[in-house]
Amino acid sequence: MKKLILISLVLCASLFADDYKFRGNKGVAPVDNQLYINECASCHFAYQPGLLPERSWVKLMKNLESHFDTDASLDLEDNQKILRYLVDNSAEKFTNYKRSRKINNSIGSNETPIAVSDTRYFIKKHRKIRKSLIEQKEVKSISNCIACHTTADKGIYGERYIKIPNYGRWDD
Amino acid sequence: MKSLMLIIFLSLSAFAQSSEVENYIESLKAEVLKKEPNFKGFDPKRGEFIFSSKHVGKKGKDISCQSCHGVNLTKAGENFFTGKTIDALSPNANKERLSSLKSVKKWLRRNFKDVYNREGSAKEKGDVLAYISTK
Repeated sequence: MKKLILISLVLCASLFADDYKFRGNKGVAPVDNQLYINECASCHFAYQPGLLPERSWVKLMKNLESHFDTDASLDLEDNQKILRYLVDNSAEKFTNYKRSRKINNSIGSNETPIAVSDTRYFIKKHRKIRKSLIEQKEVKSISNCIACHTTADKGIYGERYIKIPNYGRWDD
Repeated sequence: MKSLMLIIFLSLSAFAQSSEVENYIESLKAEVLKKEPNFKGFDPKRGEFIFSSKHVGKKGKDISCQSCHGVNLTKAGENFFTGKTIDALSPNANKERLSSLKSVKKWLRRNFKDVYNREGSAKEKGDVLAYISTK
């Protein structure tokens, strides 16, 4: 009997593990680089490298002196380390992650967006959201993922985890 | 008794400021002395004015250092543009502050450009550091 319970427990656990893995692959690979977190996420949400393709990160890291009109300059060594992390984990390396794949596929080969919010996939996904909900003080801008995507820091952007301040759950 | 405690606390926190940052402040002072032979030293009052006065910054908006760091430096602030929380700037509330020279130089460079749209002078940087360290 004990053995039976154990076997069913293991079976259940592996089922859940599969489910979890599947769900993880719907999003974007989570951030796992402390230097990136320290240097970039001190000012804004730590966007996962899998949200943009390699050429976008290369372009962005070349002009940190005027980074969305803010000075985010780094010394050369830190810049190169962070660029390497971003490039090694950029969207086209994570074709098994749904969001990375969709974002990357929505970018024309002649385009190099440096903001995730400039990609076609992102624009399509956010087009129905009222401006006032984006500009309210709890959100501030469309770039503040975690303000509404409550699990954005885990790379999970699914609809069921959206909660817009002063609005609630989002049903597309 | 309370003031004695305060003096002990303040002198302890002065020690907490790293020697590399102290050396940097000394080098800023030497730089100012080259231009102003009668220079007496950095002034927290001047630093406060630099910190609190508004300017059209890099983003074209009228902002001051307080727009992100708040008025009370012992409390956390919030990035004016992104909403990201910024840990307290006062070294008395946050021992990480003024402890790494690399970090001090980086933020002075960046934030003067963000608020003043130019680099800070040696005198301005020293005054701002004097202001922050007394808060």
